[in-house]
Amino acid sequence: MDSSAEVVALVGVGILLTALYLQSESFVDPLIRAIALQSLLLGVLLGWLAWTEHSVDLAILAALAVAVRVLFIPYVLRRQIRAFRWRVRELHAAHRVTGHALAAVVLAIVAWFVFQETLASIFPEPGAALPFILLVEGLLMLATRSNTIVQVIGYLEEENAVVYAGALFAQAFPLFVEVVVFLDVLGVVLVGVILSIQRDVIGTPEESALEELAG
Amino acid sequence: MAWATQVISIVQAATVLLLAPLIAGISYRFKAWTESRSGPSIFQPYYDLAKYLRKETLLPEGSSRIFYVAPFVAFGAYLLISEVVPVITPYPIPFASTVDFLGGGLLFGLAGTVTLLAAIDSGSNYAALGASRTVSFAAFAEPTLIIVFFAVAVITGTNNPYVTNNLLAASTSAYLSPTHLLVTAAFFLLLLAETGKLPVESAGAMEFGMLEDGRTFEHSGRLLGVNRWNGWLKQFLLYSVFVNVFALPWGMSSAPTAEGTLANVALLLAKLLALVGVMTVVEATLAKVRLFKIRDFLALSFSLAVLAVFAFAVLGVP
Repeated sequence: MDSSAEVVALVGVGILLTALYLQSESFVDPLIRAIALQSLLLGVLLGWLAWTEHSVDLAILAALAVAVRVLFIPYVLRRQIRAFRWRVRELHAAHRVTGHALAAVVLAIVAWFVFQETLASIFPEPGAALPFILLVEGLLMLATRSNTIVQVIGYLEEENAVVYAGALFAQAFPLFVEVVVFLDVLGVVLVGVILSIQRDVIGTPEESALEELAG
Repeated sequence: MAWATQVISIVQAATVLLLAPLIAGISYRFKAWTESRSGPSIFQPYYDLAKYLRKETLLPEGSSRIFYVAPFVAFGAYLLISEVVPVITPYPIPFASTVDFLGGGLLFGLAGTVTLLAAIDSGSNYAALGASRTVSFAAFAEPTLIIVFFAVAVITGTNNPYVTNNLLAASTSAYLSPTHLLVTAAFFLLLLAETGKLPVESAGAMEFGMLEDGRTFEHSGRLLGVNRWNGWLKQFLLYSVFVNVFALPWGMSSAPTAEGTLANVALLLAKLLALVGVMTVVEATLAKVRLFKIRDFLALSFSLAVLAVFAFAVLGVP
């Protein structure tokens, strides 16, 4: 394995580590920082691929990833948790930390076996399973969490997985840039508009529980 | 040069036995500095040891021979471990071929188990509480240790710590591989738990959260002295394995000569000092986690170890 592939592998495992951290963390604020870190790692990966393959498309994507996913969306999310009042932590999640961490590891292994059985013949490169695993981890997060912001973070993780997969397999694909831009816009709309509407119109199922504790 | 390696194996055992209290004393001193105290002399553990060995030994009523024998069995186990892991040599010394990594782990297990039996045998509630707590968390720590061994075996294709040391010292790409970095992180977390460091355990006899120290509550005099020494030996050996096999495998002289061995001892001390410095920073910056949160801590360590083996499977390189 040459040194370029080794860098890609190291950053990939770093992204996987942040995915496992996201599963086991129950506080919302560190989750936002963790998804920003995951996006930063993805930005580094895109930047590295742009550097080694002299690709302007990938360089634009790296800059976009850092600007939108590392800086803008986490900023908006943190404003949201200030407005939402349930900023501290997801309710009833604290005692599930061990279970979530182990479930995430088990799911990663299962996802890898599924990948080996299905897609490995099309994408035989080492590390090709990592975006797929990231996608499944994001789905697990969406399925197991009840807090809306945490679910949005799960969605952002899914986006990261798609961008990651695209960066590994479809660098020369101009459509890829457009898909990523579209996903970014979708993400911004999601965190900026839909969360606000939900707050104002529907409220949150956790609000009554929190008010009960307000004293 | 067979006699030379035999002499070196004796030097290695002596190094472990004599320097283990020193490393403990240095860590107490470092810790005192972070608390703005000048702290005890770094030789305090030696003075303590001399005092314990002179004091009268009291046996609890109703305890059996296990209570008396256990500290010495554990001591013997640690002495044997000091002959089978790379402490001051990057090449195997005569005893090293008796066990591999897993065997070393089992010897640590033997020492821990006899100490537990002695704690239960004492009939004291406090000692039994310490024993039951230790076991409940060891049940989460041991699987991690086994997976760490798997990951080491995956990197080198063998379960011999000397091979691991040589491979990592020679190959930067093996050292920087995700598998090795993750397994080093997992082993470091395990090291914190096994040597009774914060955030898992805060040492001191008045601590309700204590685990390891609780087991030796009823020992006194010479038995307490040997038990304390065992604790320092365990810490020294685990630190040595961590620096020589995982974190800092470089620089050991492979010449079985007097100068080479002396240089290796000095190098080991330097590496251990660096590790003690890191441990002090960890202890000074982290708060103790609640007792039942230790499980989360160990689950994290386990996840990292599993991920290390998994990274090998996914990426296809060690």
